[in-house]
Amino acid sequence: MNSLESVDTVKFSSMRPDNSKIPKKEEENEFKTELENEETKSISSSQIAKSYSDILALIGENPARQGLEKTPIRAANALLHFTKGYTQNINDVVQDAIFNEDVDDMVIVKDIDMYSLCEHHMVPFFGKVSIGYLPNKKVIGLSKLARIVEMFSRRLQIQERLTVEIANAIMEALEPRGVGVVVHATHMCMVMRGVEKLSSKTVTSAMLGEFRNDSKTRQEFLSLIK
Amino acid sequence: MEQSGDTDTGKQSNGHKEAKKEDLKTTECKLKELSSAYLSIIESIGEDCSRQGLLKTPERAAKAIIHFTKGYDENLTDIVKDAIFDEDTDEMVLVKDIEMFSLCEHHMVPFMGKVSVGYLPSKKVIGLSKIARIVELYSRRLQVQERLTNQIADALQNILNPRGVGVVVEATHMCMVMRGVEKFNSKTVSSSMRGEFRNNPKTREEFLHLIKKF
Repeated sequence: MNSLESVDTVKFSSMRPDNSKIPKKEEENEFKTELENEETKSISSSQIAKSYSDILALIGENPARQGLEKTPIRAANALLHFTKGYTQNINDVVQDAIFNEDVDDMVIVKDIDMYSLCEHHMVPFFGKVSIGYLPNKKVIGLSKLARIVEMFSRRLQIQERLTVEIANAIMEALEPRGVGVVVHATHMCMVMRGVEKLSSKTVTSAMLGEFRNDSKTRQEFLSLIK
Repeated sequence: MEQSGDTDTGKQSNGHKEAKKEDLKTTECKLKELSSAYLSIIESIGEDCSRQGLLKTPERAAKAIIHFTKGYDENLTDIVKDAIFDEDTDEMVLVKDIEMFSLCEHHMVPFMGKVSVGYLPSKKVIGLSKIARIVELYSRRLQVQERLTNQIADALQNILNPRGVGVVVEATHMCMVMRGVEKFNSKTVSSSMRGEFRNNPKTREEFLHLIKKF
């Protein structure tokens, strides 16, 4: 039996909440071998390095000086690391870490460090993610919640979508009675440029199931993540 | 071509007024080519450039990097202008906790933190905001924290000829936090001491004590 068809594997929708398609790479890579993935990464890395080399010259730097000689390839590899979420797959991230458990009280993992790239300016935004859910006879390995955050944050993102994607993924994987996700982040595109507001933070939330319908549940979650 | 490694002031255009029209054309051209480079990058990471959120991203990213590297087009003389004043004072002057945002030249990823600057005047003082502008001039470039620290110190030494200068930079490097070792609490501290700040331990100690957080 194909391990992907085990009872705990969930089929995820190929559309994002904003109805844009998930990039082709994510779907293609689901069945690629590790070697094929490495080869693809190497080609992407050289292509991206070439673009960074052009950028260096255009901003007025000297790409041949010692400090910058290997910058294009380092910057390319850094960007691929910051966007590795595209090559990850929710089934591989969660694997079989879903367990039957007779608990129905709220489970929270809070203050998960999150680093992402703003899709409008390609500049980092980072902060903390707090997640809560009400189990329905199934619980998930706690570190998998952090891995789900990693998978969706290591992409070109907007904070609102990131928040919803995390909530939806947990909802689909666990079928809990409800999920709550809160993200606090600082956006370098607002701090290093534009309005240049250093202390501002952006907060977004996604409440599903009982977290949305029951204000007491929501209140409990919000007070526990303070 | 001017290199960030020089202690010099930045790229110079050939006389501001006559080059303005030429500069505008060059800027437009530069923006177009930078946008094209970013478009290629977005495609290479596997994203869909035609989706709504990414349609104008190449141009926005190009403008962002131009802003982050505007220090190359600025000039110490123009920044300081005539904000140097004769003043019969010889006590230490400090401007501390100046926010700094720069780009690491090895990974092209931001590093940011605070700069504290002190100097012992020798009959001349500088407009305080000019110290922050000098930090901006050198930080809005591809940089290495050690060099940035030295460039700020050297600039003040050269324009003021004071009895000494001290610069301390404390920064968080996203290249260490978001990738590589992934140490999010680590901070890098570099310093540059000139004149009496270097030769006189009591002066240095006074400076370091005054810039500590209260």
